[in-house]
Amino acid sequence: MVKIDQINISNDGLTKFFSPIEAAILRALWAEGEMTTSELTGKTNIPLTSVAGTLDRLVKAGYTTRRTEKVNGRVRYMYEPVFTEEEAASEITTKILDSLVETFGPLAVENFSKYSDKK
Amino acid sequence: MNLIMGDLSCYGQCLRSWAPFVASFIILSIALISISLMLSNPRKRLRIFLFAQLSGIIAIALTYYIMECSEMLSLFLYSAFLAVSNLIIFGVLRYYDRIIIRKLEAKPAGRLLNWTQEFVDMLTSAKLYYFDSAIPRAFASGKSIFISIGLLEILDDDELKAVLAHEAWHIRHNSGMPFMKQLALMAFSSSADPKLECMADRFAAQIAGSEALLSARNKVDKVFI
Repeated sequence: MVKIDQINISNDGLTKFFSPIEAAILRALWAEGEMTTSELTGKTNIPLTSVAGTLDRLVKAGYTTRRTEKVNGRVRYMYEPVFTEEEAASEITTKILDSLVETFGPLAVENFSKYSDKK
Repeated sequence: MNLIMGDLSCYGQCLRSWAPFVASFIILSIALISISLMLSNPRKRLRIFLFAQLSGIIAIALTYYIMECSEMLSLFLYSAFLAVSNLIIFGVLRYYDRIIIRKLEAKPAGRLLNWTQEFVDMLTSAKLYYFDSAIPRAFASGKSIFISIGLLEILDDDELKAVLAHEAWHIRHNSGMPFMKQLALMAFSSSADPKLECMADRFAAQIAGSEALLSARNKVDKVFI
């Protein structure tokens, strides 16, 4: 799950909320649906030594699931995203809004309504 | 039994209100030793182990100074401390692989790939387990060999045979290793002994061929020990 203390607003795109490797993996999984480890390393262009630990972390954090498959006597993982991109976005926004309201109270809420009025 | 209970209550009286205080140090010490053996980080493990020894010594020293009637209890405590800590260390060394199996939620690899357990059986008497991790890793402990699914993903059969032979050699060698050396390796270092690794590799090359060993080494670079 996204941890509030790891959010870095000055980064670009998804790397505001995830590490660059996590973001690359999630983007690939959202685009493809299901992928094996070798497909993931091919698609993200990141070597296995860097991806493997991150994959374990993403599974543990509940962002992806994996199942073991046996194809032609070879064992392999098949990864699948748990949330869609929209669901992840909504979780992230809720978390950030919660923390803003917790810190600034009514002022934060007032700014949200101003913001949505502007839109 | 009555005699022991009588002795204990006598000790309790001699220590007066300090008895629970001393007892808590003893319990703390035993708990810390158990914890230290379950940690994987060798530095943390050493630190916790030293704290355990320290609290054991504090308990004994306290008894020595507080005792009013006899000084036998400090001796008794000391021998109890030695007996219990040795029992824990022996027990953990004997059952360390069980702890790893539970920690990694490892499952018998024979269920996943039948030939792997049969191959290991030919080389040594050890059980082969796999665990859920994308990081390619293999290691041996006690009478068990552990491989990650990540390792199975990247190695072909010959390379896997080389890795399994390497680990099987460790198991064979473990049973012949002096107890204290095993304990030292297990307790205070996580890095492998290069001399042992070299010998394990030589054995693996004999069994699976040096080509398979070399390509396995290249693929997983330093992840099987």
